[in-house]
Amino acid sequence: MISLKVSDLSKVYRIPKPQPPATSAGEPGRLRSALTLAPIRRYAREALTSDNIQDLWALRDVSFEVEPGSVLGLIGPNGAGKSTLLKVISRIVEPTTGMVSGRGRVVSLLELGAGFDEDASARENIYLNAAMYGIPRSVVDRRFDEIIAFAGIENFVDTNLQYFSSGMYLRLAFSVAINMEPNILLADEILAVGDATFQEQCLQKVAEAGKQGLTVVFVSHDMDAVARICSRVIWLKNGSVHRDGDGEEVVSEYQQTSWEVARQTNKFGFKGSHVNRYGEIVEVRLVTSDGREIGAAPTYEDVSIRIRFKTHNAKVRARCAIDLFTKGVHVLRSTQAVLWPVTSEAVYEAFVRIPKHLLSETKYTVDVTVLLIRGEGEEHALVMNKALAFMTYGAADERGKLRKTGVIAPTFEWTIDKQADVVRA
Amino acid sequence: MSSEREAALAGEPVPTMASDAEPWIIQPKTGTLGEKLRELWRYRYLWWYFAAENLKSQYRKTTLGWFWMLMRIASTVGLSSIVFGGVLAAPSDGPPYFLFFVAGTATWTLFERSLLFVTRSLERNRKLVTKVYFPRMILPLAATGTGIAFFVITLVVMVGAIGYFRWTRGVWYVVFGPRLIVALLAAVAALFMAVSVGLWTSVLQLRWRDVRQSLRYAMPFWFYLTPIIYPMSHIPEKYHWFVRLNPMSSIVEAFKWGTIGTGSLHPQSLVISSFVMTAVFLGGVWFFSRAEAQSIDKL
Repeated sequence: MISLKVSDLSKVYRIPKPQPPATSAGEPGRLRSALTLAPIRRYAREALTSDNIQDLWALRDVSFEVEPGSVLGLIGPNGAGKSTLLKVISRIVEPTTGMVSGRGRVVSLLELGAGFDEDASARENIYLNAAMYGIPRSVVDRRFDEIIAFAGIENFVDTNLQYFSSGMYLRLAFSVAINMEPNILLADEILAVGDATFQEQCLQKVAEAGKQGLTVVFVSHDMDAVARICSRVIWLKNGSVHRDGDGEEVVSEYQQTSWEVARQTNKFGFKGSHVNRYGEIVEVRLVTSDGREIGAAPTYEDVSIRIRFKTHNAKVRARCAIDLFTKGVHVLRSTQAVLWPVTSEAVYEAFVRIPKHLLSETKYTVDVTVLLIRGEGEEHALVMNKALAFMTYGAADERGKLRKTGVIAPTFEWTIDKQADVVRA
Repeated sequence: MSSEREAALAGEPVPTMASDAEPWIIQPKTGTLGEKLRELWRYRYLWWYFAAENLKSQYRKTTLGWFWMLMRIASTVGLSSIVFGGVLAAPSDGPPYFLFFVAGTATWTLFERSLLFVTRSLERNRKLVTKVYFPRMILPLAATGTGIAFFVITLVVMVGAIGYFRWTRGVWYVVFGPRLIVALLAAVAALFMAVSVGLWTSVLQLRWRDVRQSLRYAMPFWFYLTPIIYPMSHIPEKYHWFVRLNPMSSIVEAFKWGTIGTGSLHPQSLVISSFVMTAVFLGGVWFFSRAEAQSIDKL
């Protein structure tokens, strides 16, 4: 049995070509053109001809089938067609050619909280949201307590949503959607919002629902999450299926490619420079222990962060620090122990070595601070937030069920001994 | 692997999918009129929500919400009656001019208010439309709610006026009996007319915000072309065919005939109006369904 089938699906958006500015006559010219028939003529031209229209293929001949109970991940760069695909399946956008067929109720979470009314209570909103999904009130009545319980808002059922914290809001939205007894659940980047606990709860709920025969199509940029919960992953590229296969495999291939691209285009490791009159941070890079610049860090090898800074004043001492973040958590701060006396106006390079077997397999961002200290404790800080972002990956043999997760994943010392033989009676 | 999944792979029905796992298909430009109507019915609860939301948004954060609506109607009607009925001494074919004017504006208000809100309905909810799927036609249909509220208030004013004239003059200026059904039908027709025109304007409004602006300026002309401030009997006979092309004329006339008993029902005019309205409506449904998908792409 097939739960969802997409056949030769294409979607063309007809968008106006970028027009060169008509005249550079300035304000009087613009006023004149607003008073004449020019705008009307332009509308007429737009409506009647296709000269100024170009076709944008958001999806091109996409086909796949999904069995009930599978959690399908959709990955790909921005603009690859992931969201368009979800919008077509949820009927928001009409396909240009091709067909989608499926079985049962489709609930889509394209944006948590879309369709909520701030001026109504949580109770009213639950019914309203259900009505927007075209779901009978009987289903809501049956599931009402569960919705409230998962959202954790037992004491605020009749409170207007405008008094809800954003966390409560998101919880409620997700809870409503997952409890509508869908046969197919479409989720677009729902993990981009909310705190880590909430994200974790959502992921578990999605995985759990998958086990109960629910088909889930899941779009995310969080490769960690995708690899964890998706049994199968489709990699979309320019609107077409680029890869379709086992979750782990497709994700790791995608990660390698995208980090390769990131390194080539030199996007990471350099994000402006923060300056004051005593100095400036010039560049922050991830390097191997022998100084080679890299874009992603293997967890099984030492890597260093190289901070290049310039001083404009010879009578300061410097102390550097890094702050490491992942999943919205401040993982650690490492501060240089000794003060570095700056002897001349020059460019310096500070290295901080991150030992192997410490980092988890995820994406980290780094904030860099360089304190320039003048005289007796007069501190001038150079700060570069999100100076560096990098991804980490484990050795091939470390993968599988026991991947490194968490904000750090140190390899502690483990021992194992045989205590006694099992004596069979 | 869970047992459900195994069952699914073996081709057996999965417990959660058993009861309501209706198959469906999405294809470009599908759906008959019947299917569309069934779907609208399934989403009927949304009509109430959008209608209420639209109405509430008018007087949000006011303490005297309903009072302002009443004032708006009472002041317009009162002022117009003084100017047209009193100062200009416009004819009313019998009943007091105030009553004549209220009866005339009732269906017109219903039509005009509804049409203005219907025109904006898609634009006002464009964020929602790109995030959640529901039959779009709910939006223009629900936007008539505000028009209906204004109509109900006008009726209240009218009933008050009838009571007042009964008390002061001892005359019932209302025809009790089956004629009232004609008045009701006229009101329904006004609503139908607003939706029919609105199906066109709401879609056009998405692309060209000028639509609503121009509509606001066109409405007064339409108002004066409709026999509201003057009775039909005061238009020269040779121009009647022109006035009757405007379905609102028949609607307003029929409502007045059904309530305060002035004027007459003109069969020929009713036929013309029904024909025009049906054409506008069917065209509107066709245009709305055709342009809906395209317009949403452009949002």
